[in-house]
Order: sequence, then C-alpha cells, then structure tokens
Amino acid sequence: MSAISSALRPPRLRSAGREAGRIALAFGGALVVFGAFVIAKGANPFTVYSDMVRSTFLNSNSIAGVLVKACPLILGALAVAVPARAGLVNVGGEGQIVIGAVAAGGVALALDSHLPGGMVILLMMLAGAAAGAIWAGIAGVLRLTLRVNEAISTLLLNYVAIDILLYLIYQPWKDMHGSGQPVTRQLAVAARLPLIGGTQVHAGIFIAIAATLVIWFLMERTSWGFRLRVVGGNSEAARRAGLPVGRLLLSAMLVGGALAGLGGMVHYAGAELQLRAGMTANLGYIAFLASWLARHKPIQVAIAALLLASIAVAGDSLQINSALPAATVNVLMGLVLVAVMGGWGLRKKAVTV
Amino acid sequence: MSLVLDVAAGAVGGGTSILYAALGETISERAGVINLGTEGCMLVGALTGYAVTAMSGNPWIGVVAGAGAGGLLAALHAMLVIERKASQLASGLVMLFIALGITSLFGGSFVSRTIHAFTPIALPGLSKIPGLGKVLFDHDPLTYLSFLAAPAIWWLLFRSRWGLLIRGAGERGEVLAAYGYSPKTIQYLAVVAGGALAGVGGAQLSTAYANSWFEGMTAGRGFIAVALVIFAAWDPLKAVAGAYLFGAALALSPALQARGYALNQFALDALPYVITVLVLVFLSRKRLHAAPEGLIRTLANAPAR
Repeated sequence: MSAISSALRPPRLRSAGREAGRIALAFGGALVVFGAFVIAKGANPFTVYSDMVRSTFLNSNSIAGVLVKACPLILGALAVAVPARAGLVNVGGEGQIVIGAVAAGGVALALDSHLPGGMVILLMMLAGAAAGAIWAGIAGVLRLTLRVNEAISTLLLNYVAIDILLYLIYQPWKDMHGSGQPVTRQLAVAARLPLIGGTQVHAGIFIAIAATLVIWFLMERTSWGFRLRVVGGNSEAARRAGLPVGRLLLSAMLVGGALAGLGGMVHYAGAELQLRAGMTANLGYIAFLASWLARHKPIQVAIAALLLASIAVAGDSLQINSALPAATVNVLMGLVLVAVMGGWGLRKKAVTV
Repeated sequence: MSLVLDVAAGAVGGGTSILYAALGETISERAGVINLGTEGCMLVGALTGYAVTAMSGNPWIGVVAGAGAGGLLAALHAMLVIERKASQLASGLVMLFIALGITSLFGGSFVSRTIHAFTPIALPGLSKIPGLGKVLFDHDPLTYLSFLAAPAIWWLLFRSRWGLLIRGAGERGEVLAAYGYSPKTIQYLAVVAGGALAGVGGAQLSTAYANSWFEGMTAGRGFIAVALVIFAAWDPLKAVAGAYLFGAALALSPALQARGYALNQFALDALPYVITVLVLVFLSRKRLHAAPEGLIRTLANAPAR
C-alpha cells in the first residue's frame, strides 16, 4: 500500500519527504549525543530537554524571544547566501552585523533628539546597510584585485570590527550619565523599531521577512540572480559568455554586506537599544551555518535561521533550569549541523555548494 | 630592556601558540584539507591542557592531553569532509561551535584554579648572549620545542617519504591510489596531526603563556594561523616568521603601556588582524600558485576577475 502510494507521489515530493526524514533523524542523533554531554555534567537529559521545550515553545515570552533573535539571524544568513550563489564564502557576517549596529548607533547618538523617530529609523537603516556593504566590500575588492581569499579576510575583519565597537563604547560614545559600564546611552523611544501588539517582538521581523522575499525574487526571477548562479557554477564559462564576472562578484558581496549591516541595525534599534560589548553573541557565525544548512536557498535559509534561533533561545533555559552555561547550546547546535552535513553525503548527487 | 628587545621576546613567547597551530594547518592543507576549526582545536587544547595539568600536577601530561583533544576534534572534521564531502569551510566553523560549547560546559570550574604551569627556563650560556639571549633563550620548554618542530615538519613534508604521500594526497589523490596507497587514510592522518598540533598550541597558551583558562581565550589565533599558512605559501619555515610577526603585534600593546605611552589600546588590539590582512594583500598575488591543487578547488571556487 505504502509502496503504491509512494510510487504515485511525484518524485520531487518523495525526495522532499526523504530529506525531511533525514533531517529528523539527524536531529535525533544530535539530541542523543548532546544528552551524553549533559549526563557527563551530572544533569538529567530528559529533564533538560523537557525544560527546553517547555520554556521555549510553550511560553509566549520565549516565542517572542525566538522571533527577536531570528531578525538579525535571517538577515545575516541571507548575507551569506547571496555571495554563496556566486561561489563566494562570506564568513564575515559577525563583523558586518557589528559594523551595521555601530553605524546605526552613530546616527542615533547624533540625531535621535533632533529628528522625528521615523526619519531616524530610516537613516539608521541606510547607515547600517551602507556600513555592512563597505565592510564586506573591502573583502570583495581585495579578492578581485589581489586574489586575497575572501573567507580569510572576512574572518579577520570580524575582529577589527569588534575592536572598533569596543573603542567607541569605552571612549567617545560611552554613556557619561550611566552606571559607568562601557555602553552607549539608550536609543530615544521614538527612534526604536515599534513593538508588535504589546510583545517584545519588533518591526524588524517584517524587515527580515521582506528581505527574504526580495532576495528570493532577485535570485530566482531576475537576470542578476541567474548570472550570479552562472558565475558560481562555472566562472570560466561565465567569462567566455561575456558576463562581467568581477562586477557580479562584487555586487553579490555588497548586497550580502548590506543585508548583514541591516541585521545589525535591526538588532540594535529593535532589541538591544544600546551598543555594548558582546551584543552580537556569535549571531554572524550562527547565520553562516544557517545558510549552509539550507544550501543558500533564500526561503529555506530563513526557516533554518528561525530553527537555529529557537535552539539559541533554548540555551537560555539550560542556564536557568539546569544551571548549565548558556553557551553549552553551541554543542547542540554544532551536533545538529554535524549530523545534517554528515547526512548530505548519503545523497547520490554530490553536493556542490 | 629596550622596547625592541621587549617586543621581540614577547613576539617569540606569544607567537609560539600560533606557530604550532600554523605548522599543524600546513600539514593538513598540504594534504588538501583546510581546517577553519583550527581555532576550535586550539580552544579544546587550551582547556584540556589546563584541566589535565590542574588535575595531574604535571604540565607535560596536560600538553599531551591537549594534543589528543585537538586531534579528536580534527578527526570529526576529517570525517565530515573526507567521507561525507561536506564543505571544508562550513565544517570547520561547526568544529569551532562545538569547541565553544564544550569548553564553556566543562571549563567553568577551572576559571579560578591555579596550576603548576610551565616556567621559563633560561638556557645556560645561550641566554647570556646580549640581546638575542633574552629574545630566544629565556622561554618555556614548549617554545624551545617549537624551534625544533618547524624544521622537523619541513623535513617531514619535503624530504621524507611521508611528506611525498601527504603532498601527493593534496595534489593528485588518484595517482597515489594508482600506486596502491589510500589518499583518504593519508588525509585523515594529516588532518588529525594538524589538529593535535593546534591542541599543543592551545595548551602552550593556557599552561605556559597566560597561565590561566578563560572562555574564548584563543581570540582568533586559530584563524590567524590559517591565514598565516596561506601567506607562508604552505612552507613551515616561513610560517615561523609569520607567527612571530603576529606575536610582535600582540606584545606591542603591553610593552608600550608599561612605558606609559598613551596609545589607543583598541587600535593596538586590532593591529594583529589588520597586519595579517595587509600581509596577505602584499604577498597574495603569487601565493595561490603555490597552493596544493586540492586546496585551490576550495579556496578559489570563484575567479579573480
């Protein structure tokens, strides 16, 4: 019976079902291994998991927390996906998010008491996107002119961006009327991204969803997206066909950087409301993994980002309920990815991206 | 001591952990596998080295354990990229994540522990050489060991039968297979050896250089090591120079502060990364030609223009 029904189903659906099954299996395997780590720390894995599920998905505050975390993650993951379509590896999401937040913070500190809130938000978005694009553009230009590998240069620029943030919050931008902590003053209320219906979810989620749809459209329905894929597939063929390969690669990098920078702005103006050390909490790296998890397809990338955001929020429950450090959840995230990547090899077709 | 000597001595001490990681990554990349998880291997090496030293009281046992931990994490990377053909760059970052999580899970109780760390040993005679003695011969034993490790790995790669096999696996695996060797096995061994050396580097950081453990203490040193390997054109001896250059950039900040110069600390902190990018810029044009063939497919998946 099931053989007949599976034979009748269109092959695409069948492979999608198999893929979903594989991911579920991978997830289960990761949970078992992570459980062993939890036992090693003297906690009961069943209690830990039920606490994680309960406090993450059965609690409206944490569901809101997942959506808040998903905003910069979705944008940061798209920032990886666009260059990846052209065959470029952007590991600099972290730095681009930081620099986007810094640019937005700079705009806010200068203008939020002089201009109407909506205007400040618009300027912050522009500044964040521009700063992210410049930061990624450095790596893109180095790649095109001097053949410096962009994976390495974007990685190193992450550390430079973080040092810029630290310099600003410890010295010129430090809140002089605050508690003496190295943070900037809070963003003016009018210039914050509006909250949705009394929750902590902010309008950034609409920006993230809109960006996902726009990038999907650009990638799948425009000649730019098509050309990027041609370059990513076979750059030599693209060159012979007369495509401006260099310009396409740079445009992919700039668009990616702008998305991550926008992610930084959204994270600042919607959730953090001030610049502080460690405000990005590895979001850029998690975003990188989300994009690879979904093989750089925009809609799937956004879903993967949402999934990883919920794992990250579940990490907070580890800390509260089981007294394990919140960063422990990185192990679970890593194991899920190991299982999924390991599963890819089971496909007959070689994975090329 | 003059500023130059101070920085030079700091360069050697501070660059050693990166040197070990870069030497390991050279072996791995010569076999055709790039491991961004080097950062993670250093991190687990640093914690394991510190923890085992704290428990056993002997830093040498700690270093061996640190090497084991780094090698183990690298083995997982090797399995994903060799058996499962996962993306080398993505898999490496996943290793970093696992390392961040594991060290945070098990590291908390060691943050405030003190250990019997390695102590600097001034080599009799040699350390009395004016200038040079202080710079080169007043260090912990792992630093002296690294003086020997760099030429030893150069010899391994370019003068030994093993080196031929490793480079063969990175250039033309199918030729090795034709001669009856398994390129997969050789790649596994090279990646695990690379991770073990990164683990030693991490252990040097925690048990000889900083004498402490704190979360994320490697602070990008593993990534720097990966960049170093590229600008050293996959040559262990050139990696020495690169590691000490980074060590010097690290040592500059405390040396200047000790002398009361009011330079911007954050600019100095960013210096090592900026220098690494700049060196990559200046040396980059010819470098890719020296890359093992297998790596070019990973590193240069898109063209220059």
